[in-house]
Amino acid sequence: MASKISIDKPGSFALLNGDEAVARGAIEASVKVAAAYPGTPSTEILETLAKVSKELGIYSEWSINEAVATEVAVGAAMTGVRSIVSMKHVGLNVASDAVMTLAYTGVEGGMIIVVCDDPALHSSQNEQDTRYFAVHSKIPLLDAGNPQEALDMAREAYEISEKLRLPIILRLTTRVAHGKAKVKLGNMQKIERKAEFDKDGSKWVMIPSNAIRQHRVLEKKLVEAKQLAENSCFNFAEDNGSDIGIVGSGVGFYYARSVLDTKKFSWLKLGFVYPFPSDLVKTFASKVKKLIVIEELRPYIEEHIQRLKLDIIGKSELGLEEIGELTPDKVREGLSKTNLTTKQEKSQPIDLPPRPPALCPGCTHRAFYYALNMVNQSVNCNSTKCVGCGICEYACSVEKEKTFNPLKSRIRVMRIDQIFNFAVTCKACINAPCVAACPEEALTQSKKTGTITVDETKCKGCCWCVEACRFGAISVDPSTHKPLICDKCGGDPKCIPTCPESALSLTGRSDDKIVTGDIGCYTLGVLPPVKTVQSCLCMGAGISQAAGMVHAGVKDKVFSVIGDSTFFHAGMTGLINIAYNKANVCVVIMDNSIIAMTGHQPTPGSGKTAMGTDAKVIKIPEIAKALGIEKVLTVDPYDLKATKAALREILEFNGPSVLISKRTCPMLVARDNPREITEKCTGCGVCTTYFGCPAISKIGDKTEIDPTLCVGCGVCEAVCPFNAIRRIEK
Amino acid sequence: MKLDVVFCGVGGQGVVVLSDVFCEAAIIEGFDVTKAEIHGMAQRGGSIVAYARIGTKVESPLIETGTADAIVGFEMLETARILPMLKNRGTVIVNTKLIQPSCMPPKVKPKTAEELMALLKSKALVYEVDGIGIAKKVGTPLVVNTILLGALSALPELPVKAESFQRAITEKLKEKYINLNLKAFQLGRESVLNS
Repeated sequence: MASKISIDKPGSFALLNGDEAVARGAIEASVKVAAAYPGTPSTEILETLAKVSKELGIYSEWSINEAVATEVAVGAAMTGVRSIVSMKHVGLNVASDAVMTLAYTGVEGGMIIVVCDDPALHSSQNEQDTRYFAVHSKIPLLDAGNPQEALDMAREAYEISEKLRLPIILRLTTRVAHGKAKVKLGNMQKIERKAEFDKDGSKWVMIPSNAIRQHRVLEKKLVEAKQLAENSCFNFAEDNGSDIGIVGSGVGFYYARSVLDTKKFSWLKLGFVYPFPSDLVKTFASKVKKLIVIEELRPYIEEHIQRLKLDIIGKSELGLEEIGELTPDKVREGLSKTNLTTKQEKSQPIDLPPRPPALCPGCTHRAFYYALNMVNQSVNCNSTKCVGCGICEYACSVEKEKTFNPLKSRIRVMRIDQIFNFAVTCKACINAPCVAACPEEALTQSKKTGTITVDETKCKGCCWCVEACRFGAISVDPSTHKPLICDKCGGDPKCIPTCPESALSLTGRSDDKIVTGDIGCYTLGVLPPVKTVQSCLCMGAGISQAAGMVHAGVKDKVFSVIGDSTFFHAGMTGLINIAYNKANVCVVIMDNSIIAMTGHQPTPGSGKTAMGTDAKVIKIPEIAKALGIEKVLTVDPYDLKATKAALREILEFNGPSVLISKRTCPMLVARDNPREITEKCTGCGVCTTYFGCPAISKIGDKTEIDPTLCVGCGVCEAVCPFNAIRRIEK
Repeated sequence: MKLDVVFCGVGGQGVVVLSDVFCEAAIIEGFDVTKAEIHGMAQRGGSIVAYARIGTKVESPLIETGTADAIVGFEMLETARILPMLKNRGTVIVNTKLIQPSCMPPKVKPKTAEELMALLKSKALVYEVDGIGIAKKVGTPLVVNTILLGALSALPELPVKAESFQRAITEKLKEKYINLNLKAFQLGRESVLNS
């Protein structure tokens, strides 16, 4: 059976989402070259095209980033064939250098730039409104409000593009791109064109003298474009003879129609929104007494109508914010301010436990973050369990000083009040302040374990180290006045098993290092209980942010985590920069050999192209070395011990380094037998409090592993301090 | 004619696929269809909601709070969470499985299955479906979603015929899974018809 996307049955119906509809529209327009970088909610456009590439003779590729994808599509359009590039809204920022000047050169074959905005940030870092980018770049823009419009606009955009010799931006929003609807398919055009490039065309060469001429050409094209917008079938009025006219674009327009009795109002739906069809709006406005604008994100239509000196009821009057997405509820609430709708009664919120987003069971990123958090382990106390009995103090003094004297203990119980107690001991800070504070240089810290040792021959008992410790974790021997600092008994602290409440555990902490993040699944490492990642700005920013912090003089060791695909996309330039400018940053490349976040698209490291053909496997360690990084280590994040050892090696190293955490995303790998909790479990909570696998839950004192969620990665076995997790043998 | 159904569950349970089959069946029946769902950041184990609207003509992909005709819940906690979308005394079809969220903030008290069921019954007409129990009869745990579709198809207010659902299943799924799913559909349907 032919797939629904390539089926040649004009007039038949299919259930398509907006992305699939765009792909279908491009197919109907006989698109020849398609390029994209995955980004929610735009990913399915190229995915859909790639699936039918062989069948229809379309070339499809996942490009390395949106700028490259755009340039690939531009190159194709320069030869006269039709091309498409698709991206999420922030991808347009990456591509903008090419796009801004592309408006001057124009195109030969039709080209559409599909941009999917994400109001409400379902999966994004900002809420930019691409309609303003059209104004900024002077490129005509079509704004789709449902999948049918997305299909029709994609197809027609090629006609407009070739009429104007300009690329066209087609804008979708999340509810359009990922909303599905019954869509009527159109004709499959059969356009056979030979790719030919006009080598003498000065319009392709944007040196100043040519570019200023082309800027004039662009202005002329925009006059023609405005005429097209005035007469476009995507701008349509429904005149019901009402005094009230409602103007809108995008999905918000349809929310308004769903909460109102449509027959009682006149409607103007704008789809071709840049250049703005001002004459059409004026004509519509002249027939009504009151004009209401409904639109998502920024007041684009509102501002353009205001410039026509027309009175309107817009965002501020309706109380519709620029923040977040519109919903039928919000539109009803807004319109109730003009008495067009009745307000809906607010239902009582139901108090239920949240289900916050988390890294998947078996996620390789969680394992790495755990190793990073735990690289400098120390004895930590669960204050909800500690009863302040002080047995740990006795255990310590016996172990270390051979006496039953809690004053000589290296762990100290703090009694805040009768019900709140906890024990505190050395936290093994990275770059420990106590070491820096000692005027006699008597304190040294092992870079391997973080343990602090006191050279008693140098120590004069000044106790500055005691003051420097922000945890109050250093005790002083009452007889010698020398500091007593926990050394974790060489990795097997004797206090832990003596605690009758199982309140103590050997764990690490994440607040003694800086970890800049990036865009991808691993950004979820910002959330509890993982809480490792401390920044997320844009693709590739983490490496250079880390460098900036180092050059500014931060004392903490700075790590930058970035996924393999993000590294290919925008990380390589940052990496050369830290090699060149010698920033003491450890770049951790979380290589799971796939773009997991957007639904598992191949990367240059996976050995497959978008169309499923074999590709050269680009090796990250070789890139890192070639870019000037001398210290490049690769670890398996499931091997916590080896990962921690590599991290300690990095901590000792001064200079730019790369640590590759390499293991395929577990969603792509067959599951192993699930794990189970044995009777050895003391309920210490390390697995749920610090590791946080969604398959492990703790209700009351009972810890359980859900066998349907567990993928059998086995990392929790190494996490459990009491060897209480084992593989279920079938 | 208009019917709004909310599908909800936890990532990996097949919520999106099932709501697609539902919409395909409505198209076979000649209805207009819109649907909203969110992809991305919806990792395994996260909350998933899909809104499906069928009717003579439907324009908005989202449903207004308090207006959905039915909820099909794959998991009890998520079903309770989406309950405000349901109209007064609307219908809930719920798979009697509770997946407790992991990593709950320490002060949040978990809800028991009994508490959640009582909550659902206080606001809606509830059909309890033992999805996992019925799936065992079919022979694979992977058909719980189709069992729920069968249960939905048995609702008297549903304007889509069982044959249209069966055709949608046949067209949408891979060949080797069709028979298992048709059986699951039938058992799910009977579970409501016989209740």
